[in-house]
This record gives sequence, C-alpha cells and structure tokens, in this order.
Amino acid sequence: MDQVIWVEVLSRHRTVQSRHRCTGPEIRIGRAYTNDVIVDDPFVAPEHARLSCDAEGRVVVTDLGTANGLHAAHSRQRSDRLALGDDGVFRIGHTYLRVRDTAHAVAPERQFAHRAGSWVAIAVLAVAVLAFEAASLWLGDYSEPRVSTYMVPLLGGSIMVGLWSGMWSIVSRIFFGTARFEQNLLIALGGALGFEMVGALSSLGAFGLSWSTLVGYNFVGLFGVVAAICFIHLRQINPARSALAASVVSGIFLGAVAIQMLMQSDARPVASQLYVRNLLPPSLRLAPVANEASFFSGVEKLRGQLDEDRAKEP
Amino acid sequence: MTVTPVQSVSRRLAALAALLAVAAFADRAAPAAAQSPGAAAQPPTAEDVYAAARPRLLQIRTIVEAAGRQFVIGSGFLVSADGLAITNYHVVSQYALEPKTYRLEYAMADGTTGKLALLAIDVADDLAVVRLDRHDTPFFAFSKRAVDGAMPKGEHLYSMGNPLDLGFTIVDGTYNGPVERTYNQRIHFSGALNPGMSGGPTVTPDGAVVGINVAHQIGGELVSFLVPAKFAVALLAKHAEDGEAPPPNFTAEIGRQFQEWQDGLYRSFDGLGFRPIALGRYEAPESAAPWFQCWGRTNVDLVPKPRAIVDGTMCSSDTQLFIANDLVTGLIHLTHTYVKSDTLNQFQFAAFLSQQVQVGFPGGWSRKWQTRQRCSEGFVKASSEGARPTLRTVWCARAYRAFPGLYDVTLSAVTQDSGSDALVSQLAMQGVLYDNAVAIGKRFIEDVQWIK
Repeated sequence: MDQVIWVEVLSRHRTVQSRHRCTGPEIRIGRAYTNDVIVDDPFVAPEHARLSCDAEGRVVVTDLGTANGLHAAHSRQRSDRLALGDDGVFRIGHTYLRVRDTAHAVAPERQFAHRAGSWVAIAVLAVAVLAFEAASLWLGDYSEPRVSTYMVPLLGGSIMVGLWSGMWSIVSRIFFGTARFEQNLLIALGGALGFEMVGALSSLGAFGLSWSTLVGYNFVGLFGVVAAICFIHLRQINPARSALAASVVSGIFLGAVAIQMLMQSDARPVASQLYVRNLLPPSLRLAPVANEASFFSGVEKLRGQLDEDRAKEP
Repeated sequence: MTVTPVQSVSRRLAALAALLAVAAFADRAAPAAAQSPGAAAQPPTAEDVYAAARPRLLQIRTIVEAAGRQFVIGSGFLVSADGLAITNYHVVSQYALEPKTYRLEYAMADGTTGKLALLAIDVADDLAVVRLDRHDTPFFAFSKRAVDGAMPKGEHLYSMGNPLDLGFTIVDGTYNGPVERTYNQRIHFSGALNPGMSGGPTVTPDGAVVGINVAHQIGGELVSFLVPAKFAVALLAKHAEDGEAPPPNFTAEIGRQFQEWQDGLYRSFDGLGFRPIALGRYEAPESAAPWFQCWGRTNVDLVPKPRAIVDGTMCSSDTQLFIANDLVTGLIHLTHTYVKSDTLNQFQFAAFLSQQVQVGFPGGWSRKWQTRQRCSEGFVKASSEGARPTLRTVWCARAYRAFPGLYDVTLSAVTQDSGSDALVSQLAMQGVLYDNAVAIGKRFIEDVQWIK
C-alpha cells in the first residue's frame, strides 16, 4: 500500500471528527501511541487493527486479536479480516472509521452567491406570508379599523417563525456543528405559508361545498404542514438519515392525528363540525344549488340518524 | 323588555288546591259556601270563604322515597266525596316520570296526612287527578258561569293554597278574563300567587272554582295565571269515562299527550298561515297566529357606528309546555334580520353576516332529555320560477330521548344573491313532530322572496 490514503474517525452522526493522512505498507490503528491512527475510545484495544492491501489492491482491515473485535459498518457480526466496501466504513469499539483514497471525488465549490440568494428568497417568502396574513385579517375585519388588529397577529406570527427557526438552528449547531439559520428560516416561512393556505382552502372549500367536515378536520392539514417542515428541517441538518427522519415524523404525525380524532369523537361535537359557520361571498359557492326536494331528502336522512342516536344510551 | 311567562313553581314549590265532584256545578243559587251564616243576605267575606274551603284544601308533596323528604310541594283541592282531588300536572310531574324514585303525599289543614294515588294527567292544561285514601270528604264545586265563559272582568276572586310551605293561605284578587295572545288558554288573575300555591283553587265569593292556580309572571306585579275550570271538569269527566285505573306508564302517556298537543299547535300554526313582511328588498314570512309576540331590533344606535346596518324582527310564540322541572318546551321562534353595508367589501360583509347567523336551540341542551344535534346544510333555491333568491340553508335537529317522534329543530336561511346585503331568517321549533317541522320548514323557505 504505497499510495496515500486518508483514515477518517467519524462521529456518531457520521460526520468527520479527525482525518489522518497515511502512507506505507500497513497502517496500525489503536489507542496506543505506537499507532498511525490513534482512537480515543476505551472500547478500543491499544493495538486494535491493521490496514493493508490485498492482491487485488483492495484495502483490508485485520483484527489484531482484540476482545471487542472488528465489525463491518452496519453489522453486529465480528470479523477477523474485512475487505472494505465502496463506502470504506468499519467499526472498532464504539468508533466508526472510514478509509478514502486520494481519488475520492468531492462536491464542487459552493459559491457565495448562493447564500445571498437564500436571503432574497427569505425576503420574498416573508413578504408573501405577511401579505397573506394581513389580507386574511383585513377580509375578516368588519369592526372599527385598528392598527392593533393587524400588528398583534403579524408580530406574534413573526416572532413564532423566528423562534421556530432559531430552535432548529440551535439543534443543528449543537449536534451537527453548523446553525444554518437562513435555511431553517426559509423552511419555517414555507411552513407558515402552508399553514395559512390550509386554513384558507379549508374555509373556502367548506363554504363552497357546504361541507363542514373540511373545517372540523382541517387539523389534519395543519399537522401535515408541521410534519412536512419538521422533516425538511431534519433532512437539511443531516441528509444521511432522511429515511429515519421521514419514518419518525410520519409516525408522530399519524399518532397526533389519531389522538386528535379520538378527542373529537369523545367530546361533544363543536359547532364548527356541525355546520359551516364562516360565510364567504356568494360568488365563491362551488356546489350546485339544490332544489327544495333534494335538500329535504337530506333532512329526512337526518331523522333516521337521530332515531339511531335516541336508541343509544345517553 | 321581553315578557316571558314562567311557571310559577320556582323549582321545588308548586301550589295545590281541592276540587269538586265530577259533574257538580255550583252556581249563584247554590254556592258551596252557602252554609256559612248570613250567606243569603250579605256577600260572603274572606273569612267565610276560607272557613268553608279549609277542609277541602290539600298540600301535595312529592317525597323522595329513599330519603323520606319532600322534593316538590304544591297545592290541590278535593272535588268529590270519595276523595278525588285536582292539582297541577307540574306538581306531580316528578312522580309521574319517576314513580320508583318518588311517592305522593297529601297534608290537610287539620294536619292529617296520607298517601295519594295519581290517576290521570292533562299535560297541555297542566292538570292532574289524584285520589286520597279518604271518603266522605267535603269538596269544591266548579263555577258554572266560569265553565260557560260568562264571567265579567273585574269580579272579585279568592285564591287558596300553601305558598312557600308557610301554611294554607287565602289571597284576594280580580278576574281579568282569558289571557290574550296565548295558545294554551289561561285566565289572567290579578292577585299574588306564590310558589307552592300551584294546583290550588281560585274561587268566587260563593266558593265555586273558577280556575286552578298555575303560574305568575316573573317581572310583573300581581300578574298571575289560572287554568280555566272547564279543563278540570273535562279531565274529571274523561277520567270517569276511562275508569279508575291510571295509565300503565305515565311517561308514555306524557309523550302521547305531548304529541297530540303539538299536532294541534302546528295544525293551528300552519292553518293560520304566514303574512309577508318587507325587510329591505326582501319579503319574509311572519306567522299570522295571534299567539306570537313580535319585537323589532336594530343596531343603528350603537356606538361606534357599526359598519353594517342590522334591522330585524323577532317573534316568539306563547306556547310553553311544562314536561318536567328541567324540561319546558313547545316554543316557536321566528326571526328575520336584514343586513346591509355600503362600506364593507364582500368578504368583510360575509364575516359580519356569519355573526348574525346563530344556529342554536332556545333553552340550551340537556343530555338527559335530548340527543346531540345533527345538521344538514346546503344551497337551496325553493323553485326555479318567481323571485326566489338562492338560500344558504342549515337544518339542525335533535331528538327527545324519552318521547319518540318528537324533536327540536332549527332552520336558518341566508340569502345568497348579493355581496353587500342579505336577509337572515331563522325558525326554531321545540318539541315538534318531524313531519310537521318539515312542512313548516318548506313553507318558510318558499316564502322568502324579492320585492320587485
């Protein structure tokens, strides 16, 4: 093994903690200072493993007779000798190590312009969210015009979005080293816009179609928006674990929807589920106008349901 | 401002009195108090009336069986020598609905007490027939002039009963004829009826029963109501015809009478028809029945000046039906509100309008008596021809648990032909047969139209 290789010590999140440039026919790994790569892990032996090349030129790891042994990246099975795969990852003790040669391709340089672009996107999105919110406040406001009617929800919403993105940035900073506030803010603003859209569409659909269920169950859409932005936050923090993030987030989403539905079915039905409370301009009607006979056939159907209710225990 | 007749029984206290034999009528020539000295020469005094009435008066108590204590008290009066007595239905309703939990007991002015059997009820007229375990009792006669409706306004009357459990009392007052604008016939008696006197007799100076104490007006002074004696006479006659055995299940009997009563009410409601009233550019139906009280409302005098004008009428029927201490039903509410704005845009106007549409039942919800409400809604146009606007219509209903066939129904309709003015119409019907509600509802929707 004459060429230069890099041995990387990985964190538990698979980010690189340290890199060691190595050359020579064999490279020794362990806790002792006699090694080429020193791993500070109490579960690693002083002389733990040796890297070398086999006849085909692949890098091979050999266990030097340790108690805890040597493992392939995602295996519980210990091996005495391991030919490394394409990802080059293996585990000794609790520590993951990765071997890369100098031919390993890296992503091209990211330009500063991209960062400026994200602030432009943030500004555009923030204006859109605030305008949407202000417009819906204005369209629902039939009382004396007051600045506080608009300022309180707009400021409150902005603070919420700021806190939300700040929280994700702190999480990102603590666990993954970079805060990435702009990206988190962008995601949060997208979520806020999604929230407003769900509310507006559900009340539009409920009035237009005379379908009160849309309002009663719009929490499904709202929870969905929260789940989606949580997933996007997690993915941009650590793209390697997207699948895990997706399953956790959708699990929590489904659980929350189930609990909310259970609570609603146990509680006395609230007026918003019984009929559509919020009227909109008549021109936004989507459903066709029924004739009297078809409306009253629905009313007759109600009688049957009420008689079933009567038969049930109070 | 609103005048709401309220059952005089404040919660627990009802009034009682004693009635006379089934077919016996007293008239001027043969007064029940005729035995009192000097009756022929001078008009009897209150002392004479009370002295004659004393052995014929009852206090009627509903006792909680398990605790042995009174739960409701009222009055009553003997109407036959073999121990039949009349009281209000609302004095014995608790026992009628829950005969296993309660029992009935009477107490007389001399302190004797004993068991009472409930024999017959008339829910619509708030009367009940009970029997004492006694014979050879003196009793009241009914006034023939009152039964025939030949009493002059202003005649002096005496009312008796046991108000607030203070002991038997005689109260004087004036006959003021039948109450106008009410569906259930009642006599307007200007005298002080108090809780506990329900079911007691109100008599002429010669001791003949004119009416049965039933209610007083909360918020009024000396405004009291009597059930006309003719209903007691009819109930006793019907009881004599049906035989001694009470109905096997009073709850079913109450349900039957409730249905019968509301069927009559809605036949009358439908029969009397609707008359159109103009509100803005719309015409809306208002009941022509005389037993509706209507009030106007407006918001133009509000400060700050509202951005939409609201003008409307609210009509309430005087058709209350007492079923139980916690269930008074039978009302019909009819409201029309015209809303118009020149300054609000279409969305703001619709939001304002949403506040004007309150679908709810008068009297709240009691899980004991009613199921949860269910609603059906849609955009409806009554017919393609004519000047009918499209209506956004919501129909909500709930069923009475104990009384199959009866429902509470509300219907609300908002015109959908303009973004800056609208008519909001609401109809609420308590304790109604579904078919009757549908028939009235259809008529109500059909009658909303534009004025050309």
